[in-house]
Amino acid sequence: MTSSIERHSFNRRTLIKAASASTFALAAPRLSWGQSKTLVAATFPGTWSEADRQIILPAFKAQTGASVTQSIVLGTDQISRLVAAKGNKPPFDVAFFDAPQVIDAVRDGLIAEYPAAQSPNFKDLLPAAQNKWGPKITMQVIGIGYNPDKIKTPPTSWEDLWDAKYKGRVGLTALNSQLGIAFIAELNRIRGGTDDNFDPAFKALRELLPNVGAIGANLGAFATLWQQGEIDIAPYNFNFVQTLKAKGVPVEFAIPSTGPVGWSTSLHVVAGATEPELALQYIDLHLSAAIQEQMLKPPFDVIPTNAKVKLEGAITKSLAKTQDDLAKVRTFDWAKLNPQRGALIDRFNREIKV
Amino acid sequence: MTASGSRLILPLAALFFACFVAPLLVLLALSLHSDVAMKAWTIGNYAKFFTDPFNYSILVDTLLLGVKATLVCLIFGYPIAWLCARASARWQSVLLFLVILPILTSVVVRTFAWIVILGRQGVLNQIAMGLGLVHEPLRLLNTEMGVVMVLAQVQMPLMVLPILTVLSKMDPNLADASRVLGAGEWRTFWKVTLPLSLPGIIAGCILTYSANITAFVTQSLIGGARLIYMPLHIYQQAVGANNWPFAAAISIIFMMAVIAVVAVLSVFARASETYGRA
Amino acid sequence: MAERNSIQWDAVSIKLVFGLLSAVALVFLIAPTVIVLITSFTASQSLKFPPQSLSLRWYTALWDADQMQRAAWHSLVIASWTTVISVVLGTAASLAIARSRSPLLRAADLVFMSPLLLPALAFGFAALIFVNKLGFTPSISFIVLGHVIVCVPFVLRTTLAALSQLDPALLEASESLGGSAWMTFRRVTLPLISSGVGAGAFLAFMASFDNVPVSLFLADERSEVLPIHLWQQIETNLDVRTAAASGLIVMFTLVLMLIAEKFAGLTRQMR
Repeated sequence: MTSSIERHSFNRRTLIKAASASTFALAAPRLSWGQSKTLVAATFPGTWSEADRQIILPAFKAQTGASVTQSIVLGTDQISRLVAAKGNKPPFDVAFFDAPQVIDAVRDGLIAEYPAAQSPNFKDLLPAAQNKWGPKITMQVIGIGYNPDKIKTPPTSWEDLWDAKYKGRVGLTALNSQLGIAFIAELNRIRGGTDDNFDPAFKALRELLPNVGAIGANLGAFATLWQQGEIDIAPYNFNFVQTLKAKGVPVEFAIPSTGPVGWSTSLHVVAGATEPELALQYIDLHLSAAIQEQMLKPPFDVIPTNAKVKLEGAITKSLAKTQDDLAKVRTFDWAKLNPQRGALIDRFNREIKV
Repeated sequence: MTASGSRLILPLAALFFACFVAPLLVLLALSLHSDVAMKAWTIGNYAKFFTDPFNYSILVDTLLLGVKATLVCLIFGYPIAWLCARASARWQSVLLFLVILPILTSVVVRTFAWIVILGRQGVLNQIAMGLGLVHEPLRLLNTEMGVVMVLAQVQMPLMVLPILTVLSKMDPNLADASRVLGAGEWRTFWKVTLPLSLPGIIAGCILTYSANITAFVTQSLIGGARLIYMPLHIYQQAVGANNWPFAAAISIIFMMAVIAVVAVLSVFARASETYGRA
Repeated sequence: MAERNSIQWDAVSIKLVFGLLSAVALVFLIAPTVIVLITSFTASQSLKFPPQSLSLRWYTALWDADQMQRAAWHSLVIASWTTVISVVLGTAASLAIARSRSPLLRAADLVFMSPLLLPALAFGFAALIFVNKLGFTPSISFIVLGHVIVCVPFVLRTTLAALSQLDPALLEASESLGGSAWMTFRRVTLPLISSGVGAGAFLAFMASFDNVPVSLFLADERSEVLPIHLWQQIETNLDVRTAAASGLIVMFTLVLMLIAEKFAGLTRQMR
């Protein structure tokens, strides 16, 4: 009995040592990380979070000495979180929106007007990109992604997805991302539906299901499906294809015969931001010609909006030769589609449930 | 025990009341309203859940998933506990170490490993194709079978430990008596060991079952978008659709379901304990 | 003679069947962890197993993973506070429960253990709603409180088990020799249950460090925790750095387990 007491007894000295060590450790964060400022900025998963991390964050740190915490959240989820935090401190200071979200954000008072006067690079943007609520920093285009190793002749039309020879090889992504919504909207348009009637789209989806191999719950899971060779053909975003290609995954981008479909993407200062000056500098950095030229290069191939930057690389090869061509890319009436988003997601989940 | 000694429970009780009971009561209240500001009472959320086949099919799928995964845990977990109970002290420690290690490693890490294992070009398919068992890679990711497999691995320690506890405490004289009376090892197992270890089995099943059906990370990372179980449904409604009252109702229904299953299994547990004593 | 052979075959066959099932189960249990470790040393950008060539590049890449490091730090701080609070409150509660026969305390015990069985996701969601209704924004303090709820059951389990082994005669002896309740606790009870408390503290620490369902609702970017960050990376990037971070976590867990085994006899507590 005594030996077990000896073995298990806490030596008073070790106890004091442990206690003081842990108190120091618990207090330490105030010492080490309190020095430099941190900006919390939202960004999209995939190409953009990686481009931001590799190009913007180091440049921002060099320019301002502040570090950035990335909030990798889809546009619609950013809106939800800003709405939930209204009246309190917003979860992030810089919002990264696709065109549809800007409409909702302005209506709900979630973003502040962009102080263009204090943003030196703003005037270099293409006229269409200079928006008072926040500059457009790029454009996203969707088309058909396919595995060139398995599919020798590039697909030419959306209808190819329904081809019986791709049974079990087709991939889809959930409607929580813009890619998903844009595909359903385009599908609806091709099959004769209107913004008020999505029945043709869902009828086509039902017909597609036997061909579907897997549906990614989110963009990351979708990228995994490509990487692990689970799917060979799917609607995909031009930039994501380039980024995956750079990682050694066999994937190519093809424009369907009906033409590419796209939308603009922009950055905004959130209303009530905790670090508004840092937020402004962060966004302004995205607008500079030097940065946009870097983002233009592989593996990101981000379409630029600065008038001084010339298109090159994969963009001119697969997408468009000039900015005028890009301006002709078809887009949607987001004001009409936005209110239907919840219902579309619900309907989609019901259709695909096994 | 003095009354003052009993008062030692008060700090934790106070914390639980403030941080556990109160939030759950608020959750219940929210589920009975139609809006987050809680201005209008309604049972609409519950009605919506039970009248829509989409919703209660998710509940049924989840409960069945638990059964399947728990069965797999039992079939593979019992032998480990059985082996461990018979091992020498040193091997026991080694075996236990190996059993506990997975449950202490982050669930995100382990589930992520399974993505690498179960993929079309993953380890399992490489082995299966290499051995010539299949000619086409098996689809294991995004299938229920894949989810069952991963759940069973992730929660297996919860099955092994209670069974091991019971087996270690079992009176060895009983098994010896059985053998002396001429019964073979298998007969001894079925007639003596197994019934006496029933309390441990049921305790293991309770822990494993509730862990399996609430395992959000594993279900969604391995299952994908087409396999919707209750945890993902709650998350989609709470965060995706921002429908907090409905999400609250689903949460309450889910909790009731878990409590019901655990209660039923606990009744069996108590019955099985008297079985051993008789 | 035939009967003896059949009994021999019986003994062999049962060991064979159980041994085989156990072997499969053990491989099943350990393989994922091992595979993650090996894959983290890959030199390529993709997560194929077995890796074609090995390298430490993803571990060195972790040096620049500022956000991951911040998340790891948050997780460590939160886990430490959770463990301290769980141990103090949990040990006190265990003392009360172990020595009482009151049905009220038995019921309290059940309530304290219920977070282990109830869906943690539902509790996390409830906690978020509660914090919101009270008018606060989620912060590290709230995460700690949420974690204490789901981690204190571990401390209760192991401490109660240790207390049940305690011979009440020792406590009576101490009190009859004139020791106060606090002194009896400090000099007699605590040393004897220390390995039980230690094992519980270790389990609570790991449970908090790895927690996802509660952190999912209560943590935001400014208080980001490691498992959520890793999960987000898996969901958005399938970055091999995630494998390297996972490798580090596995090694960290292993080391802590070995320490817990040495000082608190972890595996002995589990039996």
